[in-house]
Amino acid sequence: MPAQTPPTSAPATRPPQTRAAASTVRRALPLWANPRLGLFAVIAILVIVFTALRPSFLNVDLSLVPMQADLSVFVVVGLAQMVVLSLGHMNLAVPRMAAVSAFAMGWCYEHLSMPLWPGMLVGLAVGAAVGAFAGWIIVVTGANSFVVTLALDFALAGLITLLYSHVGDGVAFSVHPAGMQSLGTSTFSDYCAGNVCGPPIPLIVPIALIPVILIAMLFRYARVGREMLMTGSNLKAARLSGIPTGRRIIQAHALSGLLAGFAGFLLAVNNGAFSADIGSSFLLPSFLSPVLGGTLLAGGAVSVLGTVLGATLTEVIQTGLNLLNFSVQALDIYIGMVLLGALSLDRLRHSVAERRGGRA
Amino acid sequence: MTATTGPAEPRARIGDVLRSTEATLAAIAIAGFVALAATTHGNLLHGDTLRAVLQFLAVPILVGLAQMVVLGVGQMNLSVGVTVGLCSMIAAWMMVQAGLPAWLAVAACVLVGAAIGAANGLLVILTRINGFIVTLATMTVIDGLRYGIDGSGTYQGYSPTLVRLGQGSILGVPNAFLVAVVVAVLVAFFFRRAAPGRRLLATGGNPVAARLSGISNDRSLVVAHTLSGLLAGFAGAVELALSGSVNATIGDDLLLPSFAAPIIGGVALVGGAVSVLGTCLAALIVRLVDVAQAEYSIDPSWVNLIVGAVVLGAVLLTQLRARPGTSGGRARALLARKVRRT
Repeated sequence: MPAQTPPTSAPATRPPQTRAAASTVRRALPLWANPRLGLFAVIAILVIVFTALRPSFLNVDLSLVPMQADLSVFVVVGLAQMVVLSLGHMNLAVPRMAAVSAFAMGWCYEHLSMPLWPGMLVGLAVGAAVGAFAGWIIVVTGANSFVVTLALDFALAGLITLLYSHVGDGVAFSVHPAGMQSLGTSTFSDYCAGNVCGPPIPLIVPIALIPVILIAMLFRYARVGREMLMTGSNLKAARLSGIPTGRRIIQAHALSGLLAGFAGFLLAVNNGAFSADIGSSFLLPSFLSPVLGGTLLAGGAVSVLGTVLGATLTEVIQTGLNLLNFSVQALDIYIGMVLLGALSLDRLRHSVAERRGGRA
Repeated sequence: MTATTGPAEPRARIGDVLRSTEATLAAIAIAGFVALAATTHGNLLHGDTLRAVLQFLAVPILVGLAQMVVLGVGQMNLSVGVTVGLCSMIAAWMMVQAGLPAWLAVAACVLVGAAIGAANGLLVILTRINGFIVTLATMTVIDGLRYGIDGSGTYQGYSPTLVRLGQGSILGVPNAFLVAVVVAVLVAFFFRRAAPGRRLLATGGNPVAARLSGISNDRSLVVAHTLSGLLAGFAGAVELALSGSVNATIGDDLLLPSFAAPIIGGVALVGGAVSVLGTCLAALIVRLVDVAQAEYSIDPSWVNLIVGAVVLGAVLLTQLRARPGTSGGRARALLARKVRRT
């Protein structure tokens, strides 16, 4: 998405000038300490570097369209994790929740011959139910979300293999509902009115944008979302101010399961099949995007825009290194390094900004 | 072996022992073992089967301990599994490609593990990033490095002496298992008697109090992560000697068991307490589920399902048992407040 942005090296050179601004606003950090701006600059620089090295990086059919399709999936994956990070929780079962949800969708299509969208809704409901179950266990036992979702992931991993081998035909469902094919492969440029064709944007991009906008509104304007953030930032204070914290925790986990299911649906549409391995690659990206985007693991603060940018950064690095013929393993090494590097820089910038803000 | 302090009356102690998580786990393990032995017509008690059960218990125990050590300071180490893989690959590379002697390779295997752990620890204290995220990142990096050594190739035919040693047994007890038990005893000693071990637990239990009593929390974190890497390196060496051939997929299936063993064993994620015996017993129980799967030729997927359910059950059980404890804790807090007021 940000491929056409002009080089924004401004945030990097800005610090000296904004020092005065920082002193006026005591609590708020200066503009250059905003992780979103930094991410944006890094993405822009990387796009320029990759394009200089491999001009095909900006090739529409080879690189931009698949990138957007991938990105739609991983933005939603990141949101699925971000929703529980808002509580200060984790959901290690995002991959399997996506898989269970995708299984339910595939089953509906194959055995009930449901149309595309109703089948998807059933799958989402299953994902939400699994998520709510995880949230319920956490609330009832008071156990760490990490253990609960890890164990759930373990259990679901076994369950999915069993389900596919008993109900499906081994690894995947063969029936595809009408419309799935075109949703996965077409872009708006395939639809023309006379000589004017749409932009080269895959059809699933606007579909993936729906949850992005809804989640952003939830945490910004909706009472439920604000209460989730309060629960995350201080559970005791939230409970004392009359927030039904238990219910909010269950709701956040249910939402996480629902979003995981939606990501599973998008991936299945992209791949063209509802198969058992859906979601298996979701765990690292699910943390990568929100954490790079500035969502705290401690809870109480989220950034939807940051999550989108974090996912974009990962996608740009992956596509770029792919074009430069790096192996999958080398790619792993670099992604891990980027995560560490980005977080250390973020930490550094934050502490420098706090120190300056504090002294002024 | 939970790190409880303070003397207790002998009679109360026996009751405590019987009511402890370890006793429950031991009872479950024995019951499971007897049930398995009975339903397989004693096949389980056959020398070779029993040896195999114990042999392949070594790596789960070591990996569980590696995770337990960092859980003790309230951290996590997601890179345990891949560290095992990387260490064994490096050692195999040293023997096969570089032609170095086996003892040197094994030493390198353990040292590389410790170095990775130290790097994790240093990253945690220098960047102040959550240990979960740090080890998630190093896990990804190590995962790539692991394949960087030999791609998807397999190393085999290295040092027959080492493999003979790894697969052999003394008085019917497999060497690999003996190594794991010795390491477990050392770890237990470290947390019970050694000052650094006590400091780790103090940091995990209450960092502020630890700092006020002059303990460097940073040092505790680095020590815990280094020890965790060291134990993972040990697991890599055992894997190397036990299997006779290694490839880059080693360690893929170790991450979840590494958490399962200490968590079922009663180690809290918040830090401050460890249970070596509980971790070992839990590893045994998970191993028995594996054995049952092989003996009854069940779909291997059931193992994951059952182990996941067992972990969830263990969490539920621990919390339920902690309930009366919390009221006791509240009473104690009230008492403390009264004392302060007087």
